[in-house]
Amino acid sequence: MKKTSKLLAILLVVAMVFSACGPQPAETTPAPTQPATQAPETKAPETTPAATQPDTTQPPATEPQPVETTAPAPEIPWDGAYMDKDDFQAYITHDLNLMVESIEDQLDDAAYTAVKAAEKAGEEAIAAGNTVAEVKSAYADAVAAVINAVPAADGLFSYKKESNAERTNILGILERFAIATGITGVSLFENGGYVMYNPRITLGTENYIVGYGFGLLAEGSITADLAFETNPDWARYYHTYEVSDPKTLLYHDDQGSQVGDLFTYMGASFYTNFMNETKDGYDWVPELAKEKPVAVNDEDGDGMATTWKFEVRTGDDGLKYTTGSQIESRAAFNDRPVALEDYETIFKLLLTASNKLYRGSELAAMKSGAIAGTKEYYAASENGFNADAWANVGIKTFVEDGKNYFQVTFAQEQTQFYCMYYIASSLYMPIPQEFIDLVGKNAEGKPMLFSFNSDATETPVDNSLILGPYYVSRYDADQQIIYTKNPNYVFADTKYAIEGLHVKIYTAAASDTNAGFNEFLAEHFDSAGIPQEHLNEYRNDPRTRSTTGTSNFKLNANACDQETWEYLFGVDGVVAQNAVEDYWDLKPAMGNHHFVQGVSYSIDRLTFASARGSIPSVDYLASNYMSDPENGLSYSVTEAHKNAVAQLLDDTDGYGYSLELARDYFRLALTELEAEGKYQPGTKENPTKIEIEFAWMYPTHEENYHNEIKNFIETAFNDDSVCGGVYQLECVFWVGNEWSDVYYNKMMVGQFDFGFGSITGNSLDPIGFVSVLSSDQDISGSFTLNWGVDTNSTDVYPIVYDGMKWSFDALYNAVNGTAIASKGQNKAAVSFVYHEMEKQEDGSYVGSFDVEVALPDLTELTIDDIACCDYERYYNGDKQYEETYLGDFEGAIEVTEVEKGIYKVTFTVPAELAAAYVDGNGTSAEPEGYTGFDLYYSYTLDGAENNGLYYSVNDYFVVE
Amino acid sequence: MGKYVLKRIGLAFVTCFIVLSLTFILVKLLPFERPIGGDPQQIAYYDRQYNLGYVYRFDRNMDDVYGPYLYRSPENKGRSNYYYMVPVMEQYVRWLGNIVLHWDWGSSKSIQPNVNASVIIMNRLPYSIKINFFSVIFSVPLGILLGIWAALKKNTMTDHTISTMVMVFISVPSFVLITFMIHIFAYRLGWLPSSWPADTSPTKQKVLGFIIPVFCLSFGSVCGYCRFVRAELCEVLESEYLLLARTKGLTRRQAIVRHALKNAMVPIFPAVLMEVIGLLTGATILETLYNIPGIGRLFLLAINYKDYDILFVDMAIFDTIGLLAGVLSDMAYGFIDPRIRMGAKK
Repeated sequence: MKKTSKLLAILLVVAMVFSACGPQPAETTPAPTQPATQAPETKAPETTPAATQPDTTQPPATEPQPVETTAPAPEIPWDGAYMDKDDFQAYITHDLNLMVESIEDQLDDAAYTAVKAAEKAGEEAIAAGNTVAEVKSAYADAVAAVINAVPAADGLFSYKKESNAERTNILGILERFAIATGITGVSLFENGGYVMYNPRITLGTENYIVGYGFGLLAEGSITADLAFETNPDWARYYHTYEVSDPKTLLYHDDQGSQVGDLFTYMGASFYTNFMNETKDGYDWVPELAKEKPVAVNDEDGDGMATTWKFEVRTGDDGLKYTTGSQIESRAAFNDRPVALEDYETIFKLLLTASNKLYRGSELAAMKSGAIAGTKEYYAASENGFNADAWANVGIKTFVEDGKNYFQVTFAQEQTQFYCMYYIASSLYMPIPQEFIDLVGKNAEGKPMLFSFNSDATETPVDNSLILGPYYVSRYDADQQIIYTKNPNYVFADTKYAIEGLHVKIYTAAASDTNAGFNEFLAEHFDSAGIPQEHLNEYRNDPRTRSTTGTSNFKLNANACDQETWEYLFGVDGVVAQNAVEDYWDLKPAMGNHHFVQGVSYSIDRLTFASARGSIPSVDYLASNYMSDPENGLSYSVTEAHKNAVAQLLDDTDGYGYSLELARDYFRLALTELEAEGKYQPGTKENPTKIEIEFAWMYPTHEENYHNEIKNFIETAFNDDSVCGGVYQLECVFWVGNEWSDVYYNKMMVGQFDFGFGSITGNSLDPIGFVSVLSSDQDISGSFTLNWGVDTNSTDVYPIVYDGMKWSFDALYNAVNGTAIASKGQNKAAVSFVYHEMEKQEDGSYVGSFDVEVALPDLTELTIDDIACCDYERYYNGDKQYEETYLGDFEGAIEVTEVEKGIYKVTFTVPAELAAAYVDGNGTSAEPEGYTGFDLYYSYTLDGAENNGLYYSVNDYFVVE
Repeated sequence: MGKYVLKRIGLAFVTCFIVLSLTFILVKLLPFERPIGGDPQQIAYYDRQYNLGYVYRFDRNMDDVYGPYLYRSPENKGRSNYYYMVPVMEQYVRWLGNIVLHWDWGSSKSIQPNVNASVIIMNRLPYSIKINFFSVIFSVPLGILLGIWAALKKNTMTDHTISTMVMVFISVPSFVLITFMIHIFAYRLGWLPSSWPADTSPTKQKVLGFIIPVFCLSFGSVCGYCRFVRAELCEVLESEYLLLARTKGLTRRQAIVRHALKNAMVPIFPAVLMEVIGLLTGATILETLYNIPGIGRLFLLAINYKDYDILFVDMAIFDTIGLLAGVLSDMAYGFIDPRIRMGAKK
């Protein structure tokens, strides 16, 4: 492509003449004076008229709409500033071909023919384009034609029961879409690498088992004392460290991974994993359960059911609690037998909203693996445990034939394996209510379990009661946490041979990456990762083991345009709300997919990751995500994944790095951006600066990561061959006060360009985990990190499966449960429009809801009731709030079927109730009439019941 | 004298009060970094601030009345809470009220959530006091002895060597020194612990654990005392009354011990007391590097995590120790030099 530079120079001179003589755009910026050889001498005309935009409103058609090629246009000089016409057209055609290639194997014959025809017409139109705008317009038209050539999914779909292989194919299709649209961000490395172990440690296996590890604690052992340890009782404990004091061990209220990891040592769950006999994989083993789950309602005999039950261990089986506390009241719980109701108590604790436990809110908001009724119970327990609402939660314990059973009902059907998987968390380790009451709550109303009390006279040692392999026996704040083997643990005799753990709080390691390693070399710790500068020295040391990762770290991208950003994050944003003065300064370059591709190609991952002992990767999912979890098949080795990721690896070093491609994509991006009028070139002496912020977790990341990444990207972009130096890219470092700021104050609220981070999900359920790629927060659970594409649109980039086109959200829902698709897009089974109340002459109020059912032939809707809420009292009064059910008033709710599937629900708030609510039942000093309504409904969709649902709205009573 | 001491102590408390008041007000006046999003910890923090009376909370936007909101938290049923800053002086009055009436210094926001700030400080104070106490015990005699030796050997090779060493080592920051010492004595030779031994360690280990931090903390002080003593003693040694003492028949040793040293100590002893506060502040980085769970490390953590209640208590401790050291220093003049009568009527 460089060979064309002479031709380009000639064309540019011609272009200068034309631009000097021709019409000028309405707002012009004086063209900078450039040397004759500089490419960006001509300012691209701002020509993106509406007529050239793709028509996204075209109705779907099974026949392709021919792309208009019209009569040959008069000779117009090429206006691309940094790439000649042939190259530009070649790249755009390549985009089109890649897109068609991604869907063609899913098309039936008719659609295939139509798509190929649309592709051919698109190629011709692109080749005929004489300006950047014309080429882009031809591409957009071709995309629309290809998409329109495929019939859309319409109706009720579920691919959840497909085989693992087929579901893996669907995952590949979703991944390919995500990569093509940039919502996977720019992957950097997988967090595996090299770990050194003290020779006194015998690992369970020498070969790392993906998703399990080396079996260090469960199957490993320690064969000699640690000379450094002065306490003989701890000489054979496993010595490790944390860089900061976790402050609490209450995993139930923690958002990060540190507390969860520390809690795991003492946690027990219904099911756990142990290494298999051949030491090359792992088995699922009942731990607190006594058997694998048994389906209760597998009516069609396909092995899937919503309700599962299994026998659990209790005091009858000798299962007893352990605490390390010496305080008499706490120590009294030592060796206390586990009661059956304790299994339910922990779920009540988690899910009762007034306890304000983070993991409880997460459990209530779960999508994949959601337990029936949890969302509704959480919403109904703001003021404490709600027995009525709890009755609808899918958690039950009961005794049958003298056996103790735990029963769980999921919102959607699950296989036996996924039932085990979703219920196997140490968060659900039982606990007696008496212990919760004894420990009490803090000033915020949160239980002080596993935590310090307010005067620190009780430590996590005193407030812990556990069933897992170790109990916490000492907690010296800012110094150490000691775990000791629990003799009451179910597998105490056969597993966890190591006598305990010594976790040192080693703050020096937070600022010095060598500190922990130096301690390991001095044999003060039993293991440590190898810092970058010691890799070459210790990579082949006999103490060194290599691991695969659990998470892929990446640069997540904010590719929103202004309108999308304000919709998502503006004053009334649907995801987060930002004040106008806090609006993020969006960079046009970030919205250009070719620019982000250029960034991706510019990063030499092999050099970067190898120098840090990590694994270079362009993948979104780490190697531990299983395509076939029961047989241990990693998704990363499947053909579906390889096909999806090929677009990032072609013509690169095998890890997505190609300096030449990076520069080409930067040229491509600048050509497009300038043609769209989004940037104006500067001069070589005074270039236009494009500042892109990179948000990181820790200050040390500046030296450890940022500087090298910055160097990669700037070296690629700022080379004279890209734009002759008239633009200068600057990668700016940002870090917050806490590591999590990059998530909560940057990526999850739209305040970023690139943000470094990763989300780790269920490694055995990758197809459920990709929910985090959705722009729909109901699907992603508010963990979306990359923004810019509406994942419920079918117009952006085609997803085709089963011969039909889908939006990402619709296909995601179909493969994870059930999807109602309308024109390929995800649609709610029941949707609502609220019409505000009006006051009547008698003082009553009348309002209404329009209710529409998506699939009337398959849906039976029941309006159960409408709750009128005393929000005036809640917000301006004494913070109490009451609900009054209008169904209790005769004739207050009227439901009429306007037409099939469309209903009008009219309700009346009686005058006396409205009068009482206006002043918050007398507690409000300055009443403003706040109220709200919860419309309770249930529906049966194709035989599947959905009960206890509600739709909430706010409204006002008139204050006189 | 008694009245004077009481007056000085009273003034010390007034000074402490002013310093803390200024700290509170200035910290609260810092430009606000507006948090965004629905992080539950964030919401809990603002609710706590509301309960303490430091912010207003409304269920609707009140920007027109209270200026831009500090934080907007998504709440249930589609409503949000808006938090606005209570005027700084009003916050200040509430803060004082909580301390005076309830001895409530607030609770930790993030370092040890929910635990009283004063409890956190008190748990960590002993570590810092021990380190500083032993540092003073070590550095004062050594520094004074070296200073005396240099003064007595003025303009000899000994004096030049000591002075040069002092100049070199006073320039080495303690964090450089401790890194070096950990590397040599802990990792290379294995003689000393590489970090502060836990409370559960045996006595021998704990004693050894003092060596590196005490030595590093004392190093600058030893050099400082040495320079100071040398200068003072050299001046006294050249004074006429010392010459008179010698002419009256006192030996050189007698003249130095009975007259020179005693007079040289008048400015030195108060300086030693004042050094205590300097050591405390100097220990912040050192405590971090040697993993000592003291108030110095806590001070840095409090700043990093913006845990202001901890910061205020930490400041109060530093101020109190510093001001009491000042009082003791002033009182010490009277004991060392009977000619100085503080608070005496003219």
